Amino acid sequence: MKNSCSSVSTVLEKYFDREATDEEKFLVEGHLQDCPACRDALKSMEELRTLVKAPVEEAVQKEDFPWVWQKIEREIRLQEKQPWWQSLRSWLDVTPLFRRKVWIPAVATAVVFLFLSTQIIFKNTPSYPDGSVVEYVESETDNVMVYQLEEPKVTVIWLFEGPEEERTTT
Amino acid sequence: MDRDETEMISRCQQGDQEALKEIFDKYHKKVYSIAYGVVRQREEALDIVQDVFIKLFRSIKNFKGKSHFYTYLYRMVMNTAIDHKRKAGKQFMPSLDEEGSFQPSDDVEKGPEKVLLQKELEERVKLAMDKLPAEQKAALIFRDVEGFSYQEMAEAMGCSIGTVMSRLHYGRKRMQESLKDYVKLPGQSRGASALSER
Repeated sequence: MKNSCSSVSTVLEKYFDREATDEEKFLVEGHLQDCPACRDALKSMEELRTLVKAPVEEAVQKEDFPWVWQKIEREIRLQEKQPWWQSLRSWLDVTPLFRRKVWIPAVATAVVFLFLSTQIIFKNTPSYPDGSVVEYVESETDNVMVYQLEEPKVTVIWLFEGPEEERTTT
Repeated sequence: MDRDETEMISRCQQGDQEALKEIFDKYHKKVYSIAYGVVRQREEALDIVQDVFIKLFRSIKNFKGKSHFYTYLYRMVMNTAIDHKRKAGKQFMPSLDEEGSFQPSDDVEKGPEKVLLQKELEERVKLAMDKLPAEQKAALIFRDVEGFSYQEMAEAMGCSIGTVMSRLHYGRKRMQESLKDYVKLPGQSRGASALSER
């Protein structure tokens, strides 16, 4: 007995999409033999699939993709937030001056210069050895100050004869 | 998901760009065809491919391996493509009804006319697709372009198989209506289909 179109239509699409069970396939195939309308419905779905699919397949075949990857790679690199040391490193890598490794002698020169400058600065600064004044005597003509260092053991005696003159005896 | 793919995804999750390149090599054509299926425009489809892989690199950590990787990826493609389409939709686009006066030429065997007809037909398909709701469009592309099973579609679209079948059915019905000059409608006489006559 021939099944009605309405009873088949629910599984016709499943049949077309190759999702029908064996039982459903049997039902649909039996019906299709006697029903031109359902055969047309199937054909219509096939035509539609071709219309939707063919331009896509053609577009994929025409396309050249390697440059798309290059764009993706570049974009990811640009968007990545680098830590500061990496930024410095990339800056050093792209700066011609640093790329030539001239920065090694430059940094060495700067360190030596800094060291020498420090020496000059500290030389001008008055410094007193770690010690203590043992005695200080004042008179009308001379002043005497005895100064003693702990390490090494040194005793310094200053004789002040006037405001401008000074003698030291050790 | 095979072992190589699991390893490739795991490396990508750790920020390995080489692994992303491997994923790109494996899936870019599929990604492009889904994108092209939605937007039907080369430059826009390529932009979508680019966006998808950048997005994937950033968000792949969220992939827990509970579903197939390709369904995860294709869902991302579909969402990105629909998003692009929505943004582009603000621009002027003639509706299918406005194009309704177009009559296919009878001299289809002639070269230039055939090419022209082909282009016009593609434009009509594009417009018909544009008129579909996003879910129906996605269903049609996943099934008729990519050949997904109902199960795979349900995974990619995050819905039941019943919903997939319903979206496919209504999507096809609308497309057949929009393209009735080219696709023979069920119950229509053979002479009414322009495509079958050509």
